[in-house]
Amino acid sequence: MNANAMRARPSVLLLVAAAALSACATSPYKRAGNAGEVAAALARSQPAAPSPRSLVFLVLGGSAGQRVAAYDLATSRLVWTQPGEVTTRIEVGGDIIVHGAPAQTGSGGLIVARDIGNGAVLWQHPLLEKERLAGYDVDAHAVYVVIQTQGLTKRGTTGSVLALDPRTKAVLWRHELPTGHVAGPAVRGGLIAVPVDSQYVILLDRATGAELAQVLSTAEAATFVRALPEGMFYGSRGVFLLSAATARGSRESPGYLLAKLPPFVRPFYWYDLYRPEQTRYSAIDRNHILWRVSVDGERARFRDETVVIHDYRFLFGFDAASGALRWAYSHPSDAVASTDTGSVIAFVSTDGDIGALDRVTGARRYQARLSGEVVNAATFDADGFSPTLAGSESGAGAAPDLVATLGAIVADPDRRFPDMKLFAIEEIGRQPGREATGKLLEILGERGMTPLAAQKTSEALAARKDTQSADLLAAALRRHADYADDRTAPPVDFLARAVAALGAGGRSVTPELVAQLRLPETPTPAAAQIARALIATGGEEGIPALRDYLTMYRADPVHDADPSALIAVAEALIKLGGPADRRLLLFVAEEPHTVAPLRAHLVKALGETDPGAVTRTATRD
Amino acid sequence: MLVIRAATVVAFGLVLGAAAARAAETKPADAKPAAKPSKAKAAKDKAAKDGLPAARLDAARAALVGDDDAAAIAAASSLGASGAANAAEPLAELLAVGTSPSRAEAALDALAKLGAAGVLTAPRALDVVDLYCGHRAPEVRQRAIKALGTIKDPRVVPTLVARLGDVAPGVRAAAGEALAARKERAGTPRLFALVKRGDAGAASPLAALATPDLIPQIAELAGTVDDAVLATALGDYAQRSDVPDRQRLDVVRTIAKLSGAGATTALVEYVASVPAKEERPSKREAQKLLDQRESAQ
Repeated sequence: MNANAMRARPSVLLLVAAAALSACATSPYKRAGNAGEVAAALARSQPAAPSPRSLVFLVLGGSAGQRVAAYDLATSRLVWTQPGEVTTRIEVGGDIIVHGAPAQTGSGGLIVARDIGNGAVLWQHPLLEKERLAGYDVDAHAVYVVIQTQGLTKRGTTGSVLALDPRTKAVLWRHELPTGHVAGPAVRGGLIAVPVDSQYVILLDRATGAELAQVLSTAEAATFVRALPEGMFYGSRGVFLLSAATARGSRESPGYLLAKLPPFVRPFYWYDLYRPEQTRYSAIDRNHILWRVSVDGERARFRDETVVIHDYRFLFGFDAASGALRWAYSHPSDAVASTDTGSVIAFVSTDGDIGALDRVTGARRYQARLSGEVVNAATFDADGFSPTLAGSESGAGAAPDLVATLGAIVADPDRRFPDMKLFAIEEIGRQPGREATGKLLEILGERGMTPLAAQKTSEALAARKDTQSADLLAAALRRHADYADDRTAPPVDFLARAVAALGAGGRSVTPELVAQLRLPETPTPAAAQIARALIATGGEEGIPALRDYLTMYRADPVHDADPSALIAVAEALIKLGGPADRRLLLFVAEEPHTVAPLRAHLVKALGETDPGAVTRTATRD
Repeated sequence: MLVIRAATVVAFGLVLGAAAARAAETKPADAKPAAKPSKAKAAKDKAAKDGLPAARLDAARAALVGDDDAAAIAAASSLGASGAANAAEPLAELLAVGTSPSRAEAALDALAKLGAAGVLTAPRALDVVDLYCGHRAPEVRQRAIKALGTIKDPRVVPTLVARLGDVAPGVRAAAGEALAARKERAGTPRLFALVKRGDAGAASPLAALATPDLIPQIAELAGTVDDAVLATALGDYAQRSDVPDRQRLDVVRTIAKLSGAGATTALVEYVASVPAKEERPSKREAQKLLDQRESAQ
């Protein structure tokens, strides 16, 4: 650094400091990260008593038109159905439900409140043309609506929270937020949380709308707030339990949660409440993480160390700490909505199946069906729902067979989930026992597998080194292509690789390897792999077939460009064969019609393995 | 050079030794001569009996492994045409130590000729030809199958039946024809399966081997299989001398229900196959149906 630069440095620092002070003087977030204020706000918050209801609100379509319905999970019956179109997501609180509806006049749409008992419309709140709905939440006292009002310029856009009487829609209070960059709210126990300006969460008093505290998320954006009986949470890439410790949220906080999950999982913990499209039912409702939390003061952990992944038709239970798969469930049709009630994972499918699985074991604990309906979307109000399956002593059905379920996922003709299928293959490979080996072999035998999936399956199979299942490999290798029987060849190269991985334990498979080596349809790379497998297993019984292969193709110009199979076979004869085989190899090496790459290899290999021995032997003979 | 020659001799011994060991398990081949041999056949029989002179065999051996492809192929052809039993030896040796596909094809063609002449009886020829039935090149396999089919030894049958499932249509057809020529019914279910898949090459062999009870099943394939394939199978079956005319009549009517030139050809060929002076209800029916087809067009 030169002298001028050094002289200039203090003045630059002064300018930065002055700018910072100026910003502080005008910042609306002076309270941000104040742990004492957050603690005080939380102390005032009293969680509501758990709802005795176990309802799911359904958005129905189909030939009967667009309707909203309430289904009672406890009695397995439809409580009411009302005509109506739903735009933004149904929220439930007190004795009403609220949802969005299309504008009747071309304004910004409607907020509709319905009686929870019969679905009748209580009121409609039209949004003004300049208003954009950021989101809403409901409790027994009010409907809390966050609205963004467009100004003449972008800077002029403002945000506000509106509290409406749940039965009359009378405005109870209005709170102006310090920015127009606002997101949907969450309400819990008298406390309203509203994300603003990406990394702040403003806490308001439910009764008055007064600002109580500000949270600053320093580690990652705060795109969501979520109210659960066990606490208020915020976050984006992970989850923060709202507490004094997370008033200035960092990932080192004891209240920060992030599950370890495989790559195919979309790490989506809750809706990005800044994005208007996520206030509507969408694919996100079919593809997200289901989680509940055990709270101990300011510490948080995923309940039962479990998170559940809902991925369209599939549900997976994972150990949140290790990422180990605990269970998997496959449903015949897409589940349009799901929730973790704290006891079960409840879901609704497009064709009206309503189910619940034990969140720890995946065992079936509830099933019902809404026949003849097309379910487009749903919202659960069933916290604590903990059903027992009728007719079973344990209250639950058998836990789904993991290997069978994963196998079904791999074999599923639905092509939307290539990454999940790869994951399922890897998971089968991790499961112990013959069943898993058998399933991998079954998968390898499937037609229409992608090359990557076949490769993964092969790797999983080889990695198992399951010598107890060598007979299964032999059985798979006994298959062969047959046009008359409309049968295709097994993936011989992959199977041979798996046999090779068994080492001496795979020697019992030699007859099948030999038979494949003799078949015309066995691809050249597979022939090479068979030769390597015979070396690895010490399969000397394969020597005659190796001789036949070598002599039959040694002069075939097809192998000029790629002599790998011939070289592998020759190597196997060097390693497994005796003096007579070395003499044959010498003949092959010297005979002028042998393809040049093989000749060159043999001259070198024979010299390296026992220089002079071949000449001695041949001369003697 | 001495070392190479020694190794070559050893290699022949090694490869063919293995073949001989397998051959030792075999029964003697059934090489019963035809009832009334022609003059040409008699000459060949003499050659077969006497065998080719050693000098000619050595010259043939040299040509087969020499640098000149054309000369090698000519030598193979000459050996095949000789009709001599010992002509198979150099050919089998060439295949046993390995050669280029073109020379292998020539050698197999020559062996097939020797087989057709009824002189391909050496067990090691069987083994080496059987080995080449599993060659990766379909052209080589096809020729090997043809050669194998000529060997009068029941051990060839499993390979012929197995190759009915070959991916190459030419190989399947060769296997079917070989089985048909041998009147070997072991492959009939697989030939039927091939016809069911519309494999044209299986139609004639199936017709040659089908038992009467199989014909209704073949007829039932109408609508699911190319009519031309069915017409060939049924038409060839009708031409068989061992089929009762009452069944021929049904077969002819079934053919007439099929569409396309294949069905017409089958009827024409059937009518033509019956001697002009012979009167059969099925022939009259076929002619009538042909006339109707013509008038319909």
